Amino acid sequence: MTQKRRVLISMAAALAIMPAAAAWADPAGGGADYQKLEHKYQQLQEQMATMAKQMSAMQKQQAALKASQAKAATTDTAAIDREVKRLYRRVMKDSQKISNLEPGNIQVLIAGDVNFQFQHVDGSASTFYADSSPMIQVRVDKNIFINTAFDFYTSAGAAGGSAADIGAANINYELNNYVTLGGGLVTSPIGGIVGQYNPAPWNRWLVDGSLEGALLPPNELGVWTRGGLPAPDNMGYLTYFLFVSNGPVLATTHDINGASYNNLGFGNWNPAAQNGKTVGGRFSYLPIPNIELGYSFEWSRPSADGSITTTNSLINAVDINTYYVNKKIDGLFRFRGGWTWDQVGQGIDSTGAFSLGGMSNGGQLEVAYQPSLCGIKYLDKMMAAFRYDRIDGPAAANFSNGASHEQRYSIGLDYWLHSNAVLKFEYEFDNLSNGLHGNDAMYVQFAVGI
Amino acid sequence: MNLMKYKITRSITITAAAMGLVVMAGCASNKSTKSSSAAAKPAVWPLTIKDPAANESGAQIWAENCMRCHQLRSPSQYTPAQWGIIVQYMRLRAGLTGTQAKKVLAFLQSASAH
Ligand code: HEC
Repeated sequence: MTQKRRVLISMAAALAIMPAAAAWADPAGGGADYQKLEHKYQQLQEQMATMAKQMSAMQKQQAALKASQAKAATTDTAAIDREVKRLYRRVMKDSQKISNLEPGNIQVLIAGDVNFQFQHVDGSASTFYADSSPMIQVRVDKNIFINTAFDFYTSAGAAGGSAADIGAANINYELNNYVTLGGGLVTSPIGGIVGQYNPAPWNRWLVDGSLEGALLPPNELGVWTRGGLPAPDNMGYLTYFLFVSNGPVLATTHDINGASYNNLGFGNWNPAAQNGKTVGGRFSYLPIPNIELGYSFEWSRPSADGSITTTNSLINAVDINTYYVNKKIDGLFRFRGGWTWDQVGQGIDSTGAFSLGGMSNGGQLEVAYQPSLCGIKYLDKMMAAFRYDRIDGPAAANFSNGASHEQRYSIGLDYWLHSNAVLKFEYEFDNLSNGLHGNDAMYVQFAVGI
Repeated sequence: MNLMKYKITRSITITAAAMGLVVMAGCASNKSTKSSSAAAKPAVWPLTIKDPAANESGAQIWAENCMRCHQLRSPSQYTPAQWGIIVQYMRLRAGLTGTQAKKVLAFLQSASAH
């Protein structure tokens, strides 16, 4: 016993100097201190290795002791056990501190995805299409994360036959267990299921995006706070994402940022069109981890093109995301749904002659099933997916041909070669109101997540 | 390897148990809010917030949360250092607490190294 105590005391003494050494060894001090730091670091590493050996020897002794003195010395061994655990925790903590001082602490990952597809949309010529979306993800230190994402894709209309977008450029600081602060360009949380869950093709079961996406901002350019916390009294889990960003543009006369008359356009990093800023956010509640219920809102005073005075706009959206994996159903079942309301207030131009206002809304229901646990080769990698989506708008607002809504039924069959590689086949039936037929479409896509 | 087979059935059992707990916690909440406020758990006025990560393992948090949005990626797909970057990002996407993220990372790093 006395020998053990001696070991413990010498370990505690050695540990006590570590934080001091760590504080002293400031890597920002530059090259002159570096030699010293490295030397000290190596010494500490050696000390730790010795300590770890001593500890494991002690743990073995302790186990033997426990076995032989089954009942007699329980309090004694419990105390030693606690002490060893306490010391172990300290060693881990200090080794973390030291490893933070190691040169080369910034870590970079190239992630993202690449996909190519063949598509045939009614009314357009069939075409191949390819898309590469690299991301540079950087862990600056344990609290700071930077993400940059690009999107390069073929586009017949664009000069040179291709186009590029920036998808993300943001810096995030983890303030504490529940709060992260961030700024830059980030995937918008509004409408949860479209933005948060769907952007990368290897994250989707269907090739084409949903109609609801037209009513939602794909990105936010601004500042935000986000995080999650357990609901009070063990009643599930809550997440939040609140931001101030450049707001949408209201299209009054012609197509602007992809939006037609009386709709909101979301090319929201164009400062010339942006005076009114947006306040928005999304809250979600997970009663159990498999079920997420989301509500989001975005209020703004959108800049209007032309002579229309600025008016208000309000986006409200609800979403649900669930999954269920069980042997009883031989695999994985997913269900997602969402609905968005885009509301534009009355706006009047300088002559008082022009008035806007109205509501566009739309949403989707999506189910997917993969018999991943059926035990039948190849079948366990197949996934069947179905989606119903629609969009309604004030007549003449969404649709140039006067229709008031569009609805689609999409069926998909996917083959998951790997968790990040999927071959998809999809057929989309498209209908407009008044019995008008929309543009049915067929897609075959191969997508790989990096 | 078929990832969908990876330990998921267990997470459903846990989920069912969690649902039971939610009901029980509801009944016991009046008592526990007062008496346990002195305990080590962080308290946020006016109710007690218990970090579920405190009694969940990294593997469990991973199985329950990391397939909400996409297929589960195998721990062996990335090196321990790469997981460090990914989990820092996915903590944001998934809205995890710092404690949960640390546990998931420890699990992924040890599973990746083997
Ligand atoms: C809220 C949805 C969501 C949740 C929950 C989520 N992810 Fe992701 N994950 C994504 C999206 C979206 C991407 C694709 C990257 C992008 O588009 O930003 C991604 C990408 C990834 C990648 C690819 C590499 C990379 O860094 O891009 C890995 C690996 C990954 N996630 C692992 C995880 C793990 C581990 C968890 C659990 C802690 C998790 N994900 C939880 C949405 C999610």
